[in-house]
Amino acid sequence: MNPQHFPRLGLLAPILAASLAAQDLIPKAPPQPLPVVLQNAVLHTVTGGIVLSGTLWFFDGQIRGVLPAGETPKLPDGQQPLVLDLQGKHVFPGMIAGNSSLGLVELGMVRQSVDSDELGEMSPETLAMVAVNPDSALLPVARANGVLAAVTFPVGGLLPGRASALQLDGWTNADLAVKADAGPVVVWPAQASGGERGRRGSRPGGPGAAAAVEGGDATKKARARIDDAFLAARAWLTAWTADTTLPIDIRHQALAPAVRREAPVFVLADDLEQIESAVLWARDRELRIVIVGGRDAASCAALLRERKVPVVVTGVHRLPRRDDSAYDEPFTLPARLSQLGVTFCIASGGDASNERNLPYHAATAAAFGLDREKAFAAVTHDAAVVFGIDDRLGSLAVGKDATLFVADGHPFDLATKIELAFVRGRQVDLRSKHTELAKKYRERYRQLRGK
Amino acid sequence: MTCRAALLFVAVLATLAAAPAQGPPHNGPRPADAGWFALTNAHVVASPGQEPVAATIVVRAGRIASVGSDPPPAGATSIDCSGLTIWPGFVEPFFASDVPALDPNAADQHWNTMVQAQRHALDGALVPATDREALRQLGFTTVAVAPSGGILKGNAAVILLDEPNANTPARIVRRTAYAAASLQTSRDGYPDSEMGAIALLRQMLLDGQWYARCQSALASNPALQAQAPQPSAVLQAIADGWSQPLWFDVQDELQALRVLKIAAEFERSAVVIGSGMEFRRLSALAAAKARIVVPLHFPDAPDVATEAAADRVSLRQLQSWEQAPTNSKRLLDAGLPIAWTTVRLRDRKDFPARVREAMACGVTTAQALAALTTVPAAWLGIEEHTGTIAVGKLANFVVTDGDLFTPKCEVRDVWVGGNRHVVNARKDRGLDGAWSWTEGFPGSGGGPPTLTIASDKVTCTLGEDKFETSGVVRDPSALACRVAGKTLGDGAHWLRVHREGEQLVGVCTSPEGIARPFRATRADAGATPAEPDKKDAKDKSLPPPSLDPLPTPLGGFGHLQLPAATEFAIVNATLWPSDGRGVLRNGAVVVRNGKIVFAGPAGDMPALREGATTIDGRGKHVTPGIIDCHSHTGIARGVNEGGQAVTAEVRIEDVLDPDDVNWYRQLAGGVTAVNQLHGSANAIGGQSRTTKVRFGVLQPDEMHLQGAPAGMKWALGENPRRANGSGTNPRYPNTRMGVEALLRDRLAAAESYRREQAAYTALAPTARAKVLPPRRDLELEAIGEILAATRLIHCHSYRQDEIFMLCGLAKDHGIKIGTFQHVLEGYKVADAIAQNAIGASAFSDWWAFKLEVQDAIPDNGAILHEAGVVVSFNSDSNEHARRLNTEAGKAVKYGGVLPHEALCFVTRNPAIQLGIFARTGSLTAGKDADLALWSADPLSYEARCEATWVDGRQLFSLAADAEKRQTIAKERTRLLQRALAAPKGRTARESDPKDAYWAAEDMTADWCCRTCEGERR
Repeated sequence: MNPQHFPRLGLLAPILAASLAAQDLIPKAPPQPLPVVLQNAVLHTVTGGIVLSGTLWFFDGQIRGVLPAGETPKLPDGQQPLVLDLQGKHVFPGMIAGNSSLGLVELGMVRQSVDSDELGEMSPETLAMVAVNPDSALLPVARANGVLAAVTFPVGGLLPGRASALQLDGWTNADLAVKADAGPVVVWPAQASGGERGRRGSRPGGPGAAAAVEGGDATKKARARIDDAFLAARAWLTAWTADTTLPIDIRHQALAPAVRREAPVFVLADDLEQIESAVLWARDRELRIVIVGGRDAASCAALLRERKVPVVVTGVHRLPRRDDSAYDEPFTLPARLSQLGVTFCIASGGDASNERNLPYHAATAAAFGLDREKAFAAVTHDAAVVFGIDDRLGSLAVGKDATLFVADGHPFDLATKIELAFVRGRQVDLRSKHTELAKKYRERYRQLRGK
Repeated sequence: MTCRAALLFVAVLATLAAAPAQGPPHNGPRPADAGWFALTNAHVVASPGQEPVAATIVVRAGRIASVGSDPPPAGATSIDCSGLTIWPGFVEPFFASDVPALDPNAADQHWNTMVQAQRHALDGALVPATDREALRQLGFTTVAVAPSGGILKGNAAVILLDEPNANTPARIVRRTAYAAASLQTSRDGYPDSEMGAIALLRQMLLDGQWYARCQSALASNPALQAQAPQPSAVLQAIADGWSQPLWFDVQDELQALRVLKIAAEFERSAVVIGSGMEFRRLSALAAAKARIVVPLHFPDAPDVATEAAADRVSLRQLQSWEQAPTNSKRLLDAGLPIAWTTVRLRDRKDFPARVREAMACGVTTAQALAALTTVPAAWLGIEEHTGTIAVGKLANFVVTDGDLFTPKCEVRDVWVGGNRHVVNARKDRGLDGAWSWTEGFPGSGGGPPTLTIASDKVTCTLGEDKFETSGVVRDPSALACRVAGKTLGDGAHWLRVHREGEQLVGVCTSPEGIARPFRATRADAGATPAEPDKKDAKDKSLPPPSLDPLPTPLGGFGHLQLPAATEFAIVNATLWPSDGRGVLRNGAVVVRNGKIVFAGPAGDMPALREGATTIDGRGKHVTPGIIDCHSHTGIARGVNEGGQAVTAEVRIEDVLDPDDVNWYRQLAGGVTAVNQLHGSANAIGGQSRTTKVRFGVLQPDEMHLQGAPAGMKWALGENPRRANGSGTNPRYPNTRMGVEALLRDRLAAAESYRREQAAYTALAPTARAKVLPPRRDLELEAIGEILAATRLIHCHSYRQDEIFMLCGLAKDHGIKIGTFQHVLEGYKVADAIAQNAIGASAFSDWWAFKLEVQDAIPDNGAILHEAGVVVSFNSDSNEHARRLNTEAGKAVKYGGVLPHEALCFVTRNPAIQLGIFARTGSLTAGKDADLALWSADPLSYEARCEATWVDGRQLFSLAADAEKRQTIAKERTRLLQRALAAPKGRTARESDPKDAYWAAEDMTADWCCRTCEGERR
């Protein structure tokens, strides 16, 4: 196949030339009717190792081939592909920002722009996907660093609602949805405060693993209320299955997939006691859970391993828990979990506006003992598995969504430039409000110097 | 009696004779009481350190008439004290008492209700009866009563712990002993931070001095009357009481150091009513020659009942708990005198046990007695009246049945100013023993039952039968109790007996009310059974803690000995000098006497002196120590004084917290200096401080970088507008327009202030006498320093309009701004910043956390840099501060700044902005040896900081850190086991307000200006 026979996309050349001031003016990725072939690339497949000088091609939004050096893609008959010679550049699957508030929170301190916290302590009926703003200025900013998908969590109360997995480009909520109902979120109350007690909200409006601190009886009662909600949902489901003329309670209905073990329950827990009690509760109620937070998860590794409970480490860039804790305690947590055989992934644990720093959380974990490939998997494939979207995202493999990016280096390195990104095969505009504002004001100084 | 003593005696009598005339008319016949006693056959410990001496003490009219072996005078009533010991009465130096606050609306009161210097304890409730009795039972005879509440709280009086009544009011030993003070903060107004309290206190003391100077000027020149200050009761009180010592009630050892510094500034003598945790800053307190009233409320063992609970307890908490009983001993060993107090004890009855616990750590009997008598008496200025047993002094004694400091010792009588208060009457010990109940037993069969009496415990057995005994009351010579048992029928039998020789006689009354004569004979004739030693049996107390030196600061990462500034070289490393030389591969750095003596190509390295060490830097990188231009680390008890819109008078340097473990964590991120900034809730905030991360120095103030230019926090936009708080904002300004107006107004005020001060200073001394001195105003003085270009503004700002506004204001006043902080829209007005400020100090990439930062972009730093602005990246967060190297790396990523220039964003540039580049901020010969060694390119996430030096001292290294972790693990294990073995009692919980230690420990919130600063902490 001779690339010169086919139309080419210029590397780094934006599809649109117009200068755009704000994100909501930046168009979404256009349809891609042709097969796209990325050749002469270093393919970081995550699940299949690193392929040097490989070729990856995708069509109709899906990866169709991941080929080692020398092999030629078998394109569908009669299709003219777009061929990109990447000249040794790197291709990675898009990173996944777990436990995020992307789309629900625009400006943390502006109440009107925060849509993540419904009234009351029990609102499992609320679904994040419904309120995600496809035109949030935050999405393109995250995207520009290779974060191409997110799992957005509602917050507040004990059962804040259901999380949604989304890709970060699309015209409508339907376009964005990867898995609208990823599972309910539970804020498991802590017995007593941990090391970060009293710290001010470092992430206004964002989801947090720092669960409601109650203590003593209040904790027990709050946990019982969560338990009751799941028991009631199960009872309703059993009855309703037998007699569908029964009235529908949308809260029970919302928990049905979790009760049937079709969806995981995302349980926010940091303290050792909190994690252990949540895991045992889930065992007794036959629920599939994911621990979100996991600060003390290494201390109950055996239980987590035995119960096959994965952990979402919500932020590597955190402060140690206790005054006399090792300064690098949060930095080494992923490495320790890895050594102990606990399944985990890494989230940024930060504000929606800082999701672009997700790769750096993983990079720090790598500098502090976690294998570099494992660290990258922790923000791609392993995250996809934990959130139940590995059928579509997280690796470069045949059949997966063509949600990937091309860069001149590894995304852990600050010097790396991300040059192209595709979401479901459509080439994403990597500009954002930030790039356009920078351009606008560089123009100002160019004009000033011209005087 | 010597002649001198006799004269004194006459004088005392004369005073007392005059006393009745002062009192109210008697309701009925006048009492006539000679008050003439002789305490005979006693052992007298006249003063601390003296051995008990057999003596008779004669008391007459409230005072000690004689102490010696002479037979008692005929007129005195003799009290037989054989077998008893008499000690000087104790002095309680601090008792807080309610005194009505004065009406704040009264014309001559102070505008701030925290200032109540004109109050006097004698106008208040003094000591309630229950407290009087409780204190007396412990042996206290004299108490200093201070008004409670406030910063300058009013005057304390020393009174006798007598029982005043309608005819005789409380007897005053010294009317005004000290001025009571504290650093209390207000819940709903100024000051709401400790630095605010300090500023207010300093201003009040200055005002008092000024008021006094005005008065003397007015006295010598009545023509000045027209300009006289408004009469003020508060300022008058401060002026009048200038010679009194200030007694500060403090909450921790750092606060103790702070108040002592203020006292020294004003040359006032001071006493600190301590927290009990003074041992944690022993050498600093010793250097300050502190006089500390030590409370003995040792903390309860932390809750370690479950693994999860133990996991939440920090090593410092455990150490503080273990070491608290050693506090007195350590202070004494450091050469500091101490007085003891009962304040802060949960239950005053615990006092004797706590005294013994302190003594178990090595406090001697003489030291203990001094802490209760002579030391507090001297500090209160009442040593002429009490503290020892000597002729002429008040007849204040404690009479005990043995050594005061042993558990079995019982206080018999407490004499207060010649009045005897019986605490525990002598009891008939002869009742103790086993008695055979021969007559009046309500049951039958099996011979006489045995009744065993041991102090307050009575048992009654008959063969195998054991009867229930209850309700034991032991009077001086008799005993009453109840006896019940199955074989005795329903109900209890009443028993009331006393001793007649070797028989017990009395009455046994049945439940039906039938009284039978009771008789018992000694069963173990002659043999007194050993008294079961309850105290020993129950005494599961732990062995006293070790007195080994403690690390500074206490906790896992402190030093027993600060690492020395050795001579060393790092060779063959990649250097990032930050002084215009780019990146030097294969370079070397040589450090000697805390300074860099060489930094350059390894080939040019000078020869090392003998004993110098060489560190192989192959594959590694050396950078200057990182400088954080926006830090809130180590600021104690409030980062923001939020009580007013303008708080230029408050100073961060007053509230340094050298114990904050975040200092250590930041060393582990290569940070060696920071700009400690006030929060941003005020248009004009407090004074900032440039501080080196000299974690572990003994004197907290040694952390400050001496000679660094002074700074001040200003703030624009939403925070001073308080736009993000809940509810409406009642305080000006409410708009960006108002912020500008307020700044303009205060600059104008500061200008006139400077003019007035300068005019007065310019006067010849003779001319000065003819005018009233101008008042020194700490707020305007500090703002005036900005106008005089001796203080830099570090201004919190986001939007371009506000940045532009301040540039204009600065230009109008002919001043250069220090830095714009955050300055997230700085990229829009880079030219104005370049002209009007030394630099811009920003976050690398934060945005969208509030409305005013919706246009923040990560290219901000790069664009400003391109426009010629000196740019730094800062943390504003304890967490980010330890990763500033990679924050700098983001300037490469966003905007393409050259790597070595990007590193300058956290080294050279902040140093320039803070005016300390001549000292630090680059690897240049002659500068302070502040540097960091990295495992890889410092701008990459691969880099780990391997070692950090401050002034040539290695204050962090991976090797030392690994060692510390082992020590911490070992110490934790030991202390957790000790806490588990601690006697069962209440366990301390973090949330318990009484355990203020714990609460204070974890108050180091991760403050940050980006978010909630509109609200007060």
